[in-house]
Amino acid sequence: MNRKGEERMPETIDLARIEPILQRFGKERGALIPVLQEVQGIYGYLPKEALVRVSEAMKTPLSRIYGVVTFYAQFYLTPRGRHTVRVCRGTACHVRGGRSVLNVVKDSLDIEDGETTKDLQFSLETVACLGTCFLAPVMMVDRSYYGKLIPERVPSILEKFGQGGSRG
Amino acid sequence: MGKLSSPADLEQCRDSLLRAIDPDRTRVRICMTGCRAYGAEEIRDAFSSEVARRGLESKVEIRETGCHGFCARAPVIAIDPSGIFYQQLTPADVPEIVSETIERQKIIERLTYPDPLTDKRIAQTKKIPFYEGQIQNVLKNCGTIDPRSIDQYIANGGYAALAKALHSMNPDEVVEEVKKSGLRGRGGAGFSTGMKWSFARSALGDTKYIICNADEGDPGAFMDRAVLEGDPHSVMEGMLIAAYAIGASAGYVYVRAEYPIAVEHLLIAVEQATNLGLLGPNILGSDFSFDLKIKEGAGAFVCGEETALMASIEGRRGTPRPRPPFPAQAGLWGKPTNINNVETYANVPSIILKGAPWYASMGTESSKGTKIFSLAGKINNTGLVEVPMGTTVREVIYKVGGGIPNNRPFKAVQMGGPSGGCVPAKHLELPIDYGSLESVGAIMGSGGMVVMDTKTCMVDIARFFLSFTQDESCGKCVPCRIGTKRMWEILTRITKGEGREDDIELLQEMGQMIKDASLCGLGQTSPNPVLSTIRHFRNEYDAHILDKHCPAGVCEALTYAPCENTCPCRVDAVGYVSAIAAGRYEEALALTRLNMPLAGVLGRVCNHPCESMCKRGDVDEPIAICSLKRFISDREMKRNKMPPPVFLEKIKQERVAVVGAGPAGLSAAYHLGRRGYQVTIYESLPVAGGMLRVGIPDFRLPAAVVEYDVGFVKQHNVEIQLNKTLGKDFTVEGLLKQGCKAVFLALGAHANQKLNIPGEDAEGVIPGIVYLRKVNLGEQVGRGQKVAVLGGGNVAIDAARTALRLGAKKVTILYRRTKDEMPALPEEIEEAEDEGIHIDYLVAPTRIVTQDGHVKRLECMRMELGDYDESGRRRPVPIKGSEFVVDVDTLIPAIGYMPDLSSLPSNDGFAAGSGNTLQADRVTLATRVPGVFAGGDLVTGPSMVVEAMAQGYRGAVSIDRYLKGKDLYKDRAYQPVLRIDIPKIEMEGELTAAAALRARMPQLGKKRRVRDFGEVNKGFTEKEAMREARRCLRCDLERKGE
Repeated sequence: MNRKGEERMPETIDLARIEPILQRFGKERGALIPVLQEVQGIYGYLPKEALVRVSEAMKTPLSRIYGVVTFYAQFYLTPRGRHTVRVCRGTACHVRGGRSVLNVVKDSLDIEDGETTKDLQFSLETVACLGTCFLAPVMMVDRSYYGKLIPERVPSILEKFGQGGSRG
Repeated sequence: MGKLSSPADLEQCRDSLLRAIDPDRTRVRICMTGCRAYGAEEIRDAFSSEVARRGLESKVEIRETGCHGFCARAPVIAIDPSGIFYQQLTPADVPEIVSETIERQKIIERLTYPDPLTDKRIAQTKKIPFYEGQIQNVLKNCGTIDPRSIDQYIANGGYAALAKALHSMNPDEVVEEVKKSGLRGRGGAGFSTGMKWSFARSALGDTKYIICNADEGDPGAFMDRAVLEGDPHSVMEGMLIAAYAIGASAGYVYVRAEYPIAVEHLLIAVEQATNLGLLGPNILGSDFSFDLKIKEGAGAFVCGEETALMASIEGRRGTPRPRPPFPAQAGLWGKPTNINNVETYANVPSIILKGAPWYASMGTESSKGTKIFSLAGKINNTGLVEVPMGTTVREVIYKVGGGIPNNRPFKAVQMGGPSGGCVPAKHLELPIDYGSLESVGAIMGSGGMVVMDTKTCMVDIARFFLSFTQDESCGKCVPCRIGTKRMWEILTRITKGEGREDDIELLQEMGQMIKDASLCGLGQTSPNPVLSTIRHFRNEYDAHILDKHCPAGVCEALTYAPCENTCPCRVDAVGYVSAIAAGRYEEALALTRLNMPLAGVLGRVCNHPCESMCKRGDVDEPIAICSLKRFISDREMKRNKMPPPVFLEKIKQERVAVVGAGPAGLSAAYHLGRRGYQVTIYESLPVAGGMLRVGIPDFRLPAAVVEYDVGFVKQHNVEIQLNKTLGKDFTVEGLLKQGCKAVFLALGAHANQKLNIPGEDAEGVIPGIVYLRKVNLGEQVGRGQKVAVLGGGNVAIDAARTALRLGAKKVTILYRRTKDEMPALPEEIEEAEDEGIHIDYLVAPTRIVTQDGHVKRLECMRMELGDYDESGRRRPVPIKGSEFVVDVDTLIPAIGYMPDLSSLPSNDGFAAGSGNTLQADRVTLATRVPGVFAGGDLVTGPSMVVEAMAQGYRGAVSIDRYLKGKDLYKDRAYQPVLRIDIPKIEMEGELTAAAALRARMPQLGKKRRVRDFGEVNKGFTEKEAMREARRCLRCDLERKGE
């Protein structure tokens, strides 16, 4: 990921970076999803130019690729924030006050579910279940888990990741 | 180690691994999967550095393992060979553990598990109730081995089942063995695994596939994650055996991308197995070859459905397709495919090794073996448990699960995730198996159990699940795509207070249709949470739709604050508490009196349901809402500054009669009087107040306080005529004839429930409420010295404490059941014990022995708790040979009381209900006699004071409408008159820490108390009250738009 947050829009996409992926998967059957996952791993999202290249290389119509990308929640067509905040909205978290946690996160970052902050620092997602129900309510920032949350703890957690752009 | 090319190689490998284990080496097993979210990595690092620092590497093995199951106590470690379990560790604890426990075999008490039932610490893993109740079959390696080490898996017996299958069994025999074991799919549908394999086995074709469905998407389920992270080889071994059985040579594990550690451990496992020749060509020297690929999901719940999963592996959108053809005939890329869940495969190796009869010996007739359940939600021991099928819901939740936090009552457990249903308290005895769960409208599902208490709204839960399935619906078929949306819309309306009367019927109809017509399991099961909550919690739906009320205080549009919401009188508790915090005491009291006129009384004797729902109670202790009410009332009473009455309407000519000056009658009279009616209360006793005045002793509720509040009611155009008894001095008919336009009957419940044992009518045997009444009226009751009271409610406690104050030397309460089940308020029980009253539990009286007509002895039996009855409580059964006697000169039975309907005969049109109550309409409180309404204990049976007052209010509203010719049923939902607007007042800096704790009620000294009937509780000072009021979290200010 190349985020420094200086310029809003991403620079021109360097398609050379995905050639090794396309080579590796070659003619493997059903490789579209793993390919898209790795491409997204490079850019942080799926730029249209990259999808056009994938379509050429895998001999798959762009419309079909678009269908797959828009079906799965993990694929993004717009640039993502440097840090991904995932708030769990599973049953156990819901029963233990997950909604208030989500509200505070939304307020702190000033974005809705699925959106990215203007400075491209944070993207917010809700996940139906993170599988750490014993820690309910849970939130992840990148790969770190924060469990047994009360809303008051959220702002300080976000600050650790450099939150300060939006209203605190 | 090179490739293992035969079972003998495998055995040799295992032997050499076992021989290499140093039996004297201490092993510290640290969970590094789930506990990582709680700092396990730092714990491991601390161990590594401490062990290195002390040069103990050769003596101590630090092993990173998978999940130990007891996630509630994370981070955890287990120590071999001592079998010690330490929990809730911090890195700072590690040096001490190394120096004390590892080097000196000393146990560090504070790190061991504290058993909440016994308050004792348990150091040994196997003695902890959480583990005692389990059979860890699939989970046996989790927490024991390092999942990234195939060596440890092999050393623990791994791949022996594969060797046996490949070399001693043919594929048909393998299928047979799995069939005979009775193993059923653990993903949720519960189809016979052996049968499924036989279909794929007999399918035509050379290319076949094995797939493991590791797309564990059910919110609340995390057992597959633990198995994949903690013992990935067990899953792979199961898949290999399955592949051999059906004739497949390639397979996939489809794991959701949200499980990065699982993906990582699987990839390591595949690599290690390949290196040893356990994957690839000619496994263990046989003709069987197998290639395994790991595929990651991309965030779609529907890809847990088998046909959608296969579409996803093929690189397409994950939409299901109709079946037949089933995957066994035509699956991945059109080839015969066997798909099973993670836990299903993980069960296979032990079935092959230990045999089908062993597996089938566990479980029930229809559901064999063990099952892993993930416990989450309102339960103490959140985590993973593995129990045999047939274990009851109660055992899982209370014995293994440790019960509900804060001892709150159990409401329901959601089983089977969004495809499942809610199992309510009345089914706690249900043995868990596929069939029994279906019979109550739930499903086993993946085994997720999310426990809910009284603070969970079941309508909100149904809506929650629907918004999940709506979101995850692939959109291919109309019933699911549109049906779930419509159902969600209806539920949303209901949670906003816009429900309509036919909504429930509509939901049921649509639900059935969606079940019948959806293309795949997601749609077919999506109505289940709605249908099951309607089935078991219909009254909650009715409250939302008809009363615009959310009993759990969850639905934001319907809940102002949990306290106000729960109060039967809807007293604006948060309002008056915030006014007290601001020093605006008169306003606080006026606000209270908008709903309820007896502030001084309720401030002492109310059982405060508001406090049980107070959000502050989730943090430390609830606000002392009840005692704060007493403070403002006492303040006014001391200054003698009762405010002038406020009338809501002009004074009218119509007269209304109320029979009974108890809480229900006083409340009805007050609300009618304020609306301008001329009200006369006819009271049979020589004093007003009903049970408040004659049923509760002065040391809890002084007569002066009752009189003061009654005085407040009388200001509002209310006249009270004492010594007027219904049936003797007047009749209902007479009242109506004399020009009363309506009558409200509030006779209460003053008749004693008999013991029905011989000797009950002897002298010296006085029923509890009679005893209390006489004392309160200043009549003679004798001065018994050896007093026994029978019963467990507030009447029994009050009678006992009264006898003590009348000079008894020895007062004993004998109660049929256990302390936990006593209906009396906990604070009352505690005060009784403080005063020296002895309470004997599990005792039942059998005979009263008299001498010269006077009670002399009570013969009793000891009881023990037997089976559960319908109320969910265990029935006390007598213990043979446990008879004993108690010498008494006064016996006070207080086992219950009920209304007396002798003055309301059926000839006059009155109908009796169960428990000798009077029948009245649930909504309007109308009896069958026109113009006559009834409420309070007379109609409900003995209940709470505040409930009786709510009934009085309801009766007043009905009578008001009746007299104005308006409809009695429409728009009965509660509407607040006004809300007070006070900003949140923070606590002063210097007060914060200590002030965080709930204020303690000052009381009379223990010795001083029993000398007379002076009030025991002294009430808060102004400073204490204001500080307590500022603890309030102001839930009314937290509400946000949806």
